[in-house]
Formats: sequence, structure tokens, C-alpha cells
Amino acid sequence: MLSGVDLRVGAGRISALLGPNGAGKTTFLRIVTGLLLPESGSVHVAGIDVAADPMAARRHIGVVPSGDRTFYMRISGIENLAFFGRLYGLSRREALARAERRLTDVGLSDAGGQRAGLYSHGMQKRLSMARALLMNPELLVVDEATDGLDPEGARRIQDLVRGIADTGTAVIWTTQRLDEIRGFADAVTVLDRGRTTFAGTVEDLMLQSTSRAYFVRLRGAGDAATDAELDRANGALGSQGTLSRAGGDREHLRLDLTEGAVLGEALAAVSGAGLTVLDVAQQRSELEQSFLRLTTPRT
Amino acid sequence: MTGAQANPLAELAKLSAFLRRDVLTRLSYRTAILADWFSLFSQALVFYYVSKVVNPARIPSSGGQRTTYIAYVTVGIAVSGLLAIGLARLVNVIRQEQFMGTLESLMVTPTTASVILLGSVVYDLIYVPFRTIIFLVIVSIGFDVSFVTSGYIPALVILAAFIPFVWGIGSIASACVLTFRRGTGVLGFATFVLTFTSGAYFPVSLFPGWVGEIAKINPIAVTITGMREQLIGGAGWDDALTVLAKLIPMSGITLLLGLLAFRLAMRRERRLGTLGLY
Repeated sequence: MLSGVDLRVGAGRISALLGPNGAGKTTFLRIVTGLLLPESGSVHVAGIDVAADPMAARRHIGVVPSGDRTFYMRISGIENLAFFGRLYGLSRREALARAERRLTDVGLSDAGGQRAGLYSHGMQKRLSMARALLMNPELLVVDEATDGLDPEGARRIQDLVRGIADTGTAVIWTTQRLDEIRGFADAVTVLDRGRTTFAGTVEDLMLQSTSRAYFVRLRGAGDAATDAELDRANGALGSQGTLSRAGGDREHLRLDLTEGAVLGEALAAVSGAGLTVLDVAQQRSELEQSFLRLTTPRT
Repeated sequence: MTGAQANPLAELAKLSAFLRRDVLTRLSYRTAILADWFSLFSQALVFYYVSKVVNPARIPSSGGQRTTYIAYVTVGIAVSGLLAIGLARLVNVIRQEQFMGTLESLMVTPTTASVILLGSVVYDLIYVPFRTIIFLVIVSIGFDVSFVTSGYIPALVILAAFIPFVWGIGSIASACVLTFRRGTGVLGFATFVLTFTSGAYFPVSLFPGWVGEIAKINPIAVTITGMREQLIGGAGWDDALTVLAKLIPMSGITLLLGLLAFRLAMRRERRLGTLGLY
């Protein structure tokens, strides 16, 4: 059940749709592609009302579904693409030509003649991407494309999508993985139980974080910072935050920054107090904290 | 699905893509094709030996000609086989697409639901009648069954008029499966009743009188009787036209009802968003 979801994706922009399981991401995509009729509200793709004319709208949409087995496993990758190309009204010759081009684009030109059933998970995702791009869509809808992929496979898919967006295609990218939207998505919408809980940029989403805690490893004059050195560092930090012991370990400390404080400036203050900063790690990413704050059930 | 904007010719051109896809897929299952033919001929072989103990005098004449049980039953096997295989494939094809996860991939293309349904069975609509013809020819040679040569063409025309009926019933069953996720049991029962009372394997005259009355409006019985009159009795075109005048409206109405039911089932799935669920 979706309610009050408003999403606009401009040409060449990647809009991430973020949310936990059951948030309504796939339902939203089904409405966008005309597979599901909304009870109210409307979706327009390239100026076409999807519910009123799904056939016309689908000519402008490329879909990368979340499932793996969305191809005919007994026939080759290129035959699969040519088949789907023909469903868009292409002649067989044109469909084959486009299929070959897209297979090259996604790095599958050598595997085009293999049965789709022999493709690995990552190869099927790329084949799916090739199918979605056959008609140079104005809108590319990608449903959890990196799910189950290794980091290299996921990066490859992201690079492909970024390249496609750079040619002017609008992209809706759904994911549960927060790490993949930073530096990738231009805008983020967070869905929770069918409602929008956040809409803005990735940077705006990070600002939703209330707590900013880091683990820092410090060395004082000796191997570990003494209490006196810690007091001196806290004095130097002032209103920027506090440095405290993290458990019994004398080398690892916890740095809590106050709102508006800048990590680099805080670390400079600690260094200025005579301590050497060896390592800094975010206790939990700002994105993760924001996401949890926006989606965790409230009591 | 809005089909009003779809160009009918462009939509029909997509059928060749479905046909190619299914030819390639079926060719990858060569053993299944061989098993199908083996099963068909083993059935004919059984009836060949059964015919040895059946008194030909008890077999009704067709087109005024007396015949043997094997000739009588071969036409029944051919038509009921076409019905059974045609229906099974029609019903299962959409279910298979759902299971394989390809149905949603098809539905997000600008293709009408009717073309997806027709495209999914176009291979069978060509292959199954072809299989029937080859079966009739081979049985007539292999089991020394003499069919009237001039009866082949009218018999094939009658068979062709029967195909929309199979397609229509299959579309209704397919709509039921799409809606209720089950339905093959009901389909099997309905196929059995229609076939059993059609005179495919036994003369209808053996049944109570009311079965004979039902057989007059049972398209399977009409088809089998019509084909027997052509192949066994050589009844000719006048008789074939009488059969066609009866059969074509039945087939046409069933087909329209089938496509309507399938369309409504698809619309319901879109409204509920359950197309990809099984």
C-alpha cells in the first residue's frame, strides 16, 4: 500500500528509492511500469499517463527486474534479446543488430551465443541491463540490481547505469544497500511502510543523522594516551565534541561530535593537543543512522 | 491493458518472434519430442490389437461406409490428442511463464495480453495439427487403415475449424489458472467428460440416449464425426460444409469467450498487482 509518494526524475538523473523489505519499492515500480493500477494518483513517463496508456508508456521504459530468472534459459542470450526487441516492434534484423550492440556495451559479446541458463548471476544481471537498454529508454527502472552480486559485479552494474544516465536517461534505482548510493545517486527517496519519509539529496539524508560517533586510535607521548593527555585533548576540542575511553582499551577512544562540528577540525584540535591520530572509523555510517532513524518502527 | 492504440498488424508480426523462441526451446528438448511420438504410436498399437477383438459389425458406419475399429478409433485418437495436448499447453504456458519469472518481463513490453497469449501457443497451434496429420498418415500406412484420399482436405478443413474451440477453452482455463492459481484438475475433468461423450473411442450409440443428444452440440463429437465421414466414408464437400456451418459458430463463440476471460483475468491481476505471484 503506497500513500503520498511523489517522485520526479529528470533526464540524466539517478534517483534512488531506498527502503527496507516491504517498504513498497517494488509496488511503486510495478505502478510505474503499468503492471499494477493505482487506486488513486498517477504516473507519467515522458508525458504519458501510464495507467491510461501503458502500451505507449512502455515504449519509453526499460526495466531491470530484481529476479534472476527473467529470461528463457534454453535459448541463447542474443536470441533472448532479439525476442524481446521484436516485442518492441523491431524487425528481426534490427533486433539482432541492437542485441549485438547492447551485449557489447554490457561486456557480454563473447557470451551472446551461450544459453542464458548457463550465465552466472552477474552475467544475467548484465543481460537484463542489455535488454532494458535495447530501445534507448527515456526511463530506466532498476530493481535491486546489485542484490547478490560481489563488489566488483555491483560496481560494474553501477558504472553501466551511471554511463546510461550520462546520456540523458532518467534512472530509478531501488536498493536496500546504503553504501551504493553515496557518490552514485543524485537524489534519494526513503520509503517506509508505503510512505515517503525522506526526499532529497544524499548529503541531505546524511544530515538527518543525530549522533556522530567515531572510534579513534591515538598515541600520546608514550604508546597510549594518558588521562592527562585526554583531558588536554578535550580542552582543545571545546564545544566540538568529547573524547572518551571506549572500554578498557587505552589506545582506542570514542569521539562524539556535536551538531555542526566538522570531523577534520576536531581531529586537528586533538593533534594540536599533542596526540597523534593513528586511525579513525565511523561507529556507524551517517547514512545508516539516517536510514534507521527514518525507517525503524517507532513505539 | 490498452490495446486500442496497438497496430493490429504490428502486433500480429510479433507472433513470429514467439514462434522462433518456442521452436528453439523445443528443439533443445529433443528427447521429449521423441517420447511424445513414442507415446502416440504405442497408443495406436494398443488400439490396433483391441480392434482385432472388436466385431466390425458393431462399429457405426461413417458416410455410409462400414469400417474397422482401428480406422474408427484412429480419428478419435487424433482429435482427442489434439484437444488434450492443445489444452494442456495453453493452460500451462502462462503458468510456466509465471513460474519462470518471464511473464512480468513480457508484460512490461508494449505487447497486448491477447498477443502474449496467442504468441505463447502459436507454436502448438501449428505443431499439434501437423502432428495429427502425420499421425493419421503414418497409421493409415503402418496399420493398413485405408482412408479415402479425397477426404483428407475436407477433414483438415474441419480440423482447422475445430482449433479455435481448443484455443477458446484453453484461454478460459488459462484465465482460471491465472486467477485461482489452480485449475488443471477441473480442466482434466472437463476434457474427460467432453472426450468420453464425443464418441472418440466408443460409438455414442452405446451410451444412454441423452448422451447422444449432448454429442450433437459437443464440438469434439461434431469434429470427430465430421472427419470420420470424410476419411472413412468420403462424404464430400457438401457434407463438410454442413459440419462447418455447425462447428464454426461454436468455435468462434468459445474463442471470443476465452479471449474475454483471459483479458479480464489479466486486468484483475494488474489491479491487484499479483501477476508475478504463483
